[in-house]
Amino acid sequence: MTAPTLTTEFLKLRRSKVTWLSLLAYATGPSVGALFMWIVRDPERAGQLGLLGTKADLAGLDATWESYFLLLTQISGLGGMILLAVIAAYVFGREYAEGTAKNMLALPVPRYRFALAKLTVVFVWFAGLSVFAIAETVVLGLTLGLSGISAGTVWGGASDVLIAAGVAFLLVPTVAWVATLGRGYLPPMGFAIFTLVLGNVFGATGWGKWFPWSIVPLFAGVAGPRVETLAPASLVVVVLTFLAGVGATFAQMRYADNQQ
Amino acid sequence: MSADTVISARELTKRYGDVLAVDRLDLDVRRGEIYGFLGRNGAGKTTTIRMLLGLIHPSKGEVRVLGHPADGSDTGWLGRVGFLVETATAYPNLTVWENLEIQRRLTGSEPDAVRRVIDQLGLDAYADRRAGRLSHGNLQRLALARALLHRPDVLVLDEPTNGLDPAGIVEIRKLLRSMADEHGVTVFMSSHILPEVAYLADRVGVIGGGRLLEELSRKELFERARSLVESKYTEEERAEALLSMQLERYFLQVTGGAA
Repeated sequence: MTAPTLTTEFLKLRRSKVTWLSLLAYATGPSVGALFMWIVRDPERAGQLGLLGTKADLAGLDATWESYFLLLTQISGLGGMILLAVIAAYVFGREYAEGTAKNMLALPVPRYRFALAKLTVVFVWFAGLSVFAIAETVVLGLTLGLSGISAGTVWGGASDVLIAAGVAFLLVPTVAWVATLGRGYLPPMGFAIFTLVLGNVFGATGWGKWFPWSIVPLFAGVAGPRVETLAPASLVVVVLTFLAGVGATFAQMRYADNQQ
Repeated sequence: MSADTVISARELTKRYGDVLAVDRLDLDVRRGEIYGFLGRNGAGKTTTIRMLLGLIHPSKGEVRVLGHPADGSDTGWLGRVGFLVETATAYPNLTVWENLEIQRRLTGSEPDAVRRVIDQLGLDAYADRRAGRLSHGNLQRLALARALLHRPDVLVLDEPTNGLDPAGIVEIRKLLRSMADEHGVTVFMSSHILPEVAYLADRVGVIGGGRLLEELSRKELFERARSLVESKYTEEERAEALLSMQLERYFLQVTGGAA
């Protein structure tokens, strides 16, 4: 990948509403988590707040840093998979939806470089959002005065969020492939929703650790009991899914007819 | 393929299921000439142009541009080709300048290339305007500016004057003529409007049903048109054609275009 290919991919995001909407959407996670922490700190107040308080009680949460980070891992794990799909669908699908793919693919640049640059943009974008969410969590946690703070708790919680984000990113190339195959935004979004549902279904079975889209929900603890340490087999599965997605995207851009 | 041939197609065929979009097309475009590719809607012009640029792959046959196979295996030669395919498009959230800056960086063009084409295409007043807010005519100018930005040796243009007003059409005709005459640029342009091609092209290929039906020089084209007018047109029809030409000149005078 050459610098111009990468810098122009970042330039394409300038004044894009999706950039800010994704930040707003992701920033909601820690805020909702903080709201739950605020409620569970005072059960009486939780009762007065009706369903929201009941839900917070049912979640068995307590107002601690560990609990707050676990909640963030759940929200950002599942929400992150959806948000990553939206970002990937935008970065790859817009070229077809806006009719610019024909301009891009007839340039003197090997096509795989565009795919690599776009994946890098998605990675940097989502890594930025994840770091922002962790920083927001720390600020809100300190503001709420949650108990049980230690460097180990914060580091452990932040690591879980980043691992969930990293594993979710490894699934992005399959979304990118569907965006180039389907030439637009809707096919990758449909694919993302379909795999998310499948991931939760498989997560509830014993096959979850072998199914790529179940691994993040299992790690986040939203598809059955939480798997705190990813099995090596699961890591191999997501890495293979990543490589297959990258290969399929390269092949689609290189060999398929590019019509709009 | 001779050294003088810039674009060469042999038995070029594209089939979509039962539809034969391009049928065994043979084509040779020589260095420095303007080749008009004329055909009605759906004749196969855009499909041919897409194959010339390696955007779609032929079902059969081959196409070479500047001696390189246009099959996507090598993309370096595309740095010598400027193009406009079908509808003019750009990133709507970026300004005219930013859209051109992307092209400049990806083609490794000189730093002042953006300024040069903005001046050349009369886009100065719109340089800071987002592409999504441009009129169709100005979007077309932006697409042409992008095609010219990296000083290509070959221009492949699909209906280049689409959406331009008569003054803009005259301006683009002059620009393309000067590119060919003064800079030796080879121009392959498609159109479904015969007069547009006739005024500009050195040679014209007529495509219909995916096949090259006829190839003739501009001189031959005008001779045929003249013979048709003399043998088939009534006095009234000739007068009407003359009046129509005068009306266009009048419009150009009023709007400040060249008459």
